[in-house]
Amino acid sequence: MKLLALIKKEFHRFFHDPRLIITMLIPGIVIYVVYTVLGNIIWKEDSKDYEWTVQVYGTSEIVQEIESAAGELKLTFTQTDDIEAAQKAVEDGKLTALLVFPEGEKYQIYYSSSNEESLAFYSFTAAILTPYQSCDLSNGDMGASIMSGLLPFIVVIFIFSAGMSITLESVAGEKERGTLATVLVTSVKRSHVALGKIIPLSCIASIGAASSFLGVSLSMPKLMGTSIGSALGGFGFLSYFLMFVLILSVVPLITSLISLVSAYSKSVKEASAYTGVLMIFIMVLSLISAFVPLGEWVVAVPVLNAVACMQGILAFQLSVWQSLVSVGINLVYTALLVFAVTKMLSSEKIMFGS
Amino acid sequence: MAENSDEIIVRAENLKKSFELSRKQQKIEKTGDRRKTAVNGLSFTARRGEIYGLLGPNGAGKTTTLRMLSTLIKPDAGDAIICGESIVKNPQKVRDKIGFMTGELKLEGFFTPDYLFDFFGNMHGLERETLKARKAELFSRFGIDRFAQVRVKDLSTGMKQKVSLVIAIVHDPEVVIFDEPTNGLDVITAKVVTDFLLELKAMGKSVILSTHIFSLVEKLCDRAGIIIDGKSVTDGTLEEICGGSTLEEKFFEIYHGVKGEEV
Repeated sequence: MKLLALIKKEFHRFFHDPRLIITMLIPGIVIYVVYTVLGNIIWKEDSKDYEWTVQVYGTSEIVQEIESAAGELKLTFTQTDDIEAAQKAVEDGKLTALLVFPEGEKYQIYYSSSNEESLAFYSFTAAILTPYQSCDLSNGDMGASIMSGLLPFIVVIFIFSAGMSITLESVAGEKERGTLATVLVTSVKRSHVALGKIIPLSCIASIGAASSFLGVSLSMPKLMGTSIGSALGGFGFLSYFLMFVLILSVVPLITSLISLVSAYSKSVKEASAYTGVLMIFIMVLSLISAFVPLGEWVVAVPVLNAVACMQGILAFQLSVWQSLVSVGINLVYTALLVFAVTKMLSSEKIMFGS
Repeated sequence: MAENSDEIIVRAENLKKSFELSRKQQKIEKTGDRRKTAVNGLSFTARRGEIYGLLGPNGAGKTTTLRMLSTLIKPDAGDAIICGESIVKNPQKVRDKIGFMTGELKLEGFFTPDYLFDFFGNMHGLERETLKARKAELFSRFGIDRFAQVRVKDLSTGMKQKVSLVIAIVHDPEVVIFDEPTNGLDVITAKVVTDFLLELKAMGKSVILSTHIFSLVEKLCDRAGIIIDGKSVTDGTLEEICGGSTLEEKFFEIYHGVKGEEV
């Protein structure tokens, strides 16, 4: 009953404050609007001026898929048997790109990153081809497509930002203002106070993260000049389910981590400084995993394990056991963090500076 | 009015508490010591239905003593038994027996008195019906009904103090611990508070308060203890302490005796 009252209070605080709700939802809306406008500008104006001439080696239904997604864009496909000559033509800027479909192997795109038109075709095609298994992007400097590489990273950053915006105020702010001490002088257990913060704040952070995630997911295909269906349609229920569970495991973990830092800090300002450093650390880790293949040991590293698993899912290299183990490990870390927050709430030195 | 009984409801024995000093604090205190002793072997008793006052100058250890009694901090040594429960061994049970009022405990400005009363009632595990009846009684007694739905941040200092008071005693505690009860209050709110303390006493509750205001002790307290440098230097009824002098005269006589001529 006491825990329930603590949880309800946090929800009451959030849902009765329109400013907090707007703060939580607005990043997603802004991202959607900005990316969509940018996408429209890029693809409705600039792209119409491009005249993409692409040679194809081998045959694949993917070519029809690209043609249909291209719509009004000027795009010409021609067949070729000479890969080397076509590659040279791409390098010389005489050809936009070369698509190679070897039998039984992964497809390849040859494009020139120094040629704006070629690069635009690559971005356009990469988004469409994501559901068709991973590809070798011969002239590209990224090991994976934008969707699979960066989306998990973006998700984690949004969870962190959403968690930060409410947790700092709710934990460090209450400690600084002395309202947390008023609760601690009652007979409620410290563990309930910790859970009474972390559970509702995780739920609220999920709303904020979902808003931002939706904003990115819905607008990213527009930014890349394709449709949502083309970009995400190739994933099955299991992929979506595992991504959802992975995200769910990261939210309380990050909220607990920020709660721990907030409980330790003397003020919101101090907590903001610490969490800023923490966020940069997590950003760097997540970015590394987007570009450097990591071993199976990654499942033992909280947050990073979820990022790596989501990248695997988006690159059609789904590993169910790795995802489930990561979720389990994240929950264990969350429990440890809740315990640590409880200890901090019980520490008079930390709570009352004595 | 309820008569004071001889039942001892708070027994503090040899309470000790010291704090680590930061370099900055060492400079301010002009000391090279890494620790400062705030309370040094303090003992006293308070009986059911009486108001006991801890009188002393700033820095004497009054607030630290009350923070130990309210279980916000733990003593380095010694113990206090409140309503049969040890503040060291069973702090959680002690918290259900006491109501603690101090300036360092604040109420969240976003919420209304009505919401906060229910919330803190739940924190003490009160049943819904009990809580409803208690709210009706206390809100009416303090005139909080008029602003029960106004957010705390929009209330005046006096109104906030009233809300803090009723929330501190939402669970009808046996012992009310009050740190500097009239500090920073206007005369009207201060009167409300002092009247309330007398009313608690009349209801058979025990009140322990700290203050440096002589008139407040003379007006409210049945018994008092004078603390200087964390030690109890005298303890008893006002008649026993003063012996014919005023409390102020006696205090400074004791103070000079302990500290020399330094005032």
